[in-house]
Amino acid sequence: MNDETKKKINERYERELNKGERFWPDSIFKDLVVSLGIFILLIVLATFVGISPEAKADPSDTSYIPRPEWYFLFLFKFLALYGQIPLLGKIEWIATVAIPGIAIGVLTLLPFIDKSPNRYYGKRVLPISIMAIMVTGIVLLTLLSEVPTVSEDGSKLLGILQAIAGLAIPVITMILLFLMSFVFKQTTTRVMVWTTSLAAVSMILVSGTVLALHPRPVVEETEVAVTLVDQIFAGQDLYSIHCTECHGDDGSVAEIKGVEGLEGEKITPINSHDVLYTITDSAMYEVIAYGRPNAGMTPFGKAYGGELTKSEIDYIVTYIRYMWDDRFEIPAEALKPLFPPLAKGEVPSYEVHIQPIVKRYCISCHRAGKENNNYLMASYEEILTTGDNVANNIIAGDENSSLLQVIQEHEIMNPEKTDEVLIGVMPPNRALKPNIVDVFIRWIMNGMPQTAVEAAELFVAPTATP
Amino acid sequence: MSGSNEISRRDFIKVTTGIVGGLIGVAIGLPSISYLIDPALREGGKDAWLSIGKFEDMQIGTPYPFSFTQVRVNGWERTSSSFGGYAIRKSDDSKGLLILNSRCTHLACTVNWNEEADGFLCPCHDAKFSKDGKVLDGPPPRPLDVYDEFRLSEDGHIEIFFKAG
Amino acid sequence: MWKKAFEWLDERLGLKDIYTNLLDRPEPTGNWWNTLGSASMFLFVMQGLTGIFLTVYYTPSPDHAYDSVQYIMEGVAFGWLIRGIHHWGATLMVIVVFIHLLRVFVTASFKFPRELTWLIGIGLFLATLGMGFTGYLLPWNQKAYWATTVGTQIAGSVPFIGEFILKVLRGGPELSALTLQRFFSAHIWMLPAVLAGLMGIHLFLIIKHGESHFPTKED
Repeated sequence: MNDETKKKINERYERELNKGERFWPDSIFKDLVVSLGIFILLIVLATFVGISPEAKADPSDTSYIPRPEWYFLFLFKFLALYGQIPLLGKIEWIATVAIPGIAIGVLTLLPFIDKSPNRYYGKRVLPISIMAIMVTGIVLLTLLSEVPTVSEDGSKLLGILQAIAGLAIPVITMILLFLMSFVFKQTTTRVMVWTTSLAAVSMILVSGTVLALHPRPVVEETEVAVTLVDQIFAGQDLYSIHCTECHGDDGSVAEIKGVEGLEGEKITPINSHDVLYTITDSAMYEVIAYGRPNAGMTPFGKAYGGELTKSEIDYIVTYIRYMWDDRFEIPAEALKPLFPPLAKGEVPSYEVHIQPIVKRYCISCHRAGKENNNYLMASYEEILTTGDNVANNIIAGDENSSLLQVIQEHEIMNPEKTDEVLIGVMPPNRALKPNIVDVFIRWIMNGMPQTAVEAAELFVAPTATP
Repeated sequence: MSGSNEISRRDFIKVTTGIVGGLIGVAIGLPSISYLIDPALREGGKDAWLSIGKFEDMQIGTPYPFSFTQVRVNGWERTSSSFGGYAIRKSDDSKGLLILNSRCTHLACTVNWNEEADGFLCPCHDAKFSKDGKVLDGPPPRPLDVYDEFRLSEDGHIEIFFKAG
Repeated sequence: MWKKAFEWLDERLGLKDIYTNLLDRPEPTGNWWNTLGSASMFLFVMQGLTGIFLTVYYTPSPDHAYDSVQYIMEGVAFGWLIRGIHHWGATLMVIVVFIHLLRVFVTASFKFPRELTWLIGIGLFLATLGMGFTGYLLPWNQKAYWATTVGTQIAGSVPFIGEFILKVLRGGPELSALTLQRFFSAHIWMLPAVLAGLMGIHLFLIIKHGESHFPTKED
């Protein structure tokens, strides 16, 4: 740019300045209005949209599907599409380093590449068209980022369509635009604008097709317990399934009973001060995750072959800490009773009363894969119909039902071999409290109603004594 | 003082400031850079024989997933990282095992065995590997890495030799 | 009486001079598109303020990062609001800065004499993306951890020096406490210092050359 051009530019600017406005108050006013708008928008978003909860980082959970922040999703999709290109697609640094590097390089050095003094849009059709295609491409790649390049059934159709919309059309169009600018110099602005528009529209249409054809993936919502009370409840549920069979529903078991291979094994009760005062949360986490193989405790953490994620073990530790460590005050909300207490004459139902009791005290052993005489208790049907000894287990109205006998500390002997125990006392570690035994008795004596509605119909209110 | 061999005060101060400034810059700069990149210059970890599971649990033809954890010291923290892979038993012989690393050779996401697709799929950029770990589709430049040093231990476990670093 | 107070301050602060040189400047007839620059700066200030408040409760260690963020969300009065503004502010800032870049590109305001302003602006844009990348790891949740694993892996794909770059970013071969710590340091000190410095030069240049006018057929 020579001195004369520079002088012309400066004079032109002087003229614009003189017929313009003032920074204060005109520009600042507009700035303040926009800033206020942004401020309000931020508060609205923070209050009404919020942030979706995520689980704690779990380095051992390699099944998590990584995704970058949204403003890098276009690059993420670009890498996937680039990798589909035969031969060239194998050289990954071209897509991760070279192409983005060149793009940023061109953008940075733009004033030295686009050196002409022209500023009017009409005289800058080439750069504006190229930028339009690139921005359209970036936006579309971002929207397409959730669509896999190869479908589950191996079909490559969606991948090819995406490559067309995201790579082929933009590249071809840009080559065309360059040719029109530098080789076929007679090409009018109109033609170039039409080319760009058609390219952009076709990119949008193909992308739209892909999004329409793409089957909605089943989003697995992982439960994240956010508040302390939620974490305690989550931990309680997990504990009752995985831990109760050896440690008891209240952590007090000192000698394991009723567990295959560990019968009679002596352990320190985990609700004791010995354990709770000396084992920190992280140590407790490691014990649960790694297990105590020498003492018979299998690993529970995913990192060591178990099935619990880091967050799940954290919830169990939180539950143990707040429930049994008397130095910590458990929030009142977390101490809600297992089931609503029964009124005189009220009949319990499976839905409201039996199910939570079974979940807390029985399910740890009486689920698939454990030694339990094949008696499973995960559902109403299972409780009534499964088990090696199902014939005498639950009989409506019969107080000699095996289930009622064993929870009242009477073992059931084998009628054919009178010194063999068929069903031991349940639960093996510690007897149920009388009010819980009472719930079972009432339930079976009144015909095992499943729903609260059915149970309510059986309710005989006590008549007022005269 | 206008003698030809004498420097003016201005020039003397310019030069001295330049030299001293440069020296201070180096004295601060080099240790600072070293401070920042120090962890990148360390080699760490230990080689080890690690159990990946019982040989009898591995069925012929079905990829058997395994994982193990290695603890490495990074700075002041004992970081445990998990690694995983798939062991495919080819025959009755304990030597007939193909043990693949489940790290995708493209950008190190974890691949998962997919029964329907009959291959390992990578969820990051849609790579697909055959049961033998060869690249069928997608950006990976080479097949899945193989743990070729392994042995059958006395108690029936398959152990792989894990190289550190 | 107020006049006297103003005079006293003006003699010592030079308020009238600030007004003449900074505020009472002529500008070409502006347009609402011109507000994008100040909007970016406003967002930067919002992020800085909410960020500073967040560091009152946040701990950058893998043992406590997640729980400290949890505490901010659940335990601290209005913690959810501060973190929420910071979270959404990050997204908005990337969008606003990018649209600002597009506007300057389309009106060719990066040409003589504002080439340096553009160069600084690209630096600001890249630093903003860097802030987003480093900040994303700090909550130490699954999304953060794995996104950073892949992101640093991409940095590691640079030929020859890739592995070295990866180890410098991560503070070792894998993600660890060192990674979280250096990302935190970059996020609250190093990149903000770069941003503030570049912004200072950017503003100086804008005041010196004035806001460019919207081009007409004459340009």
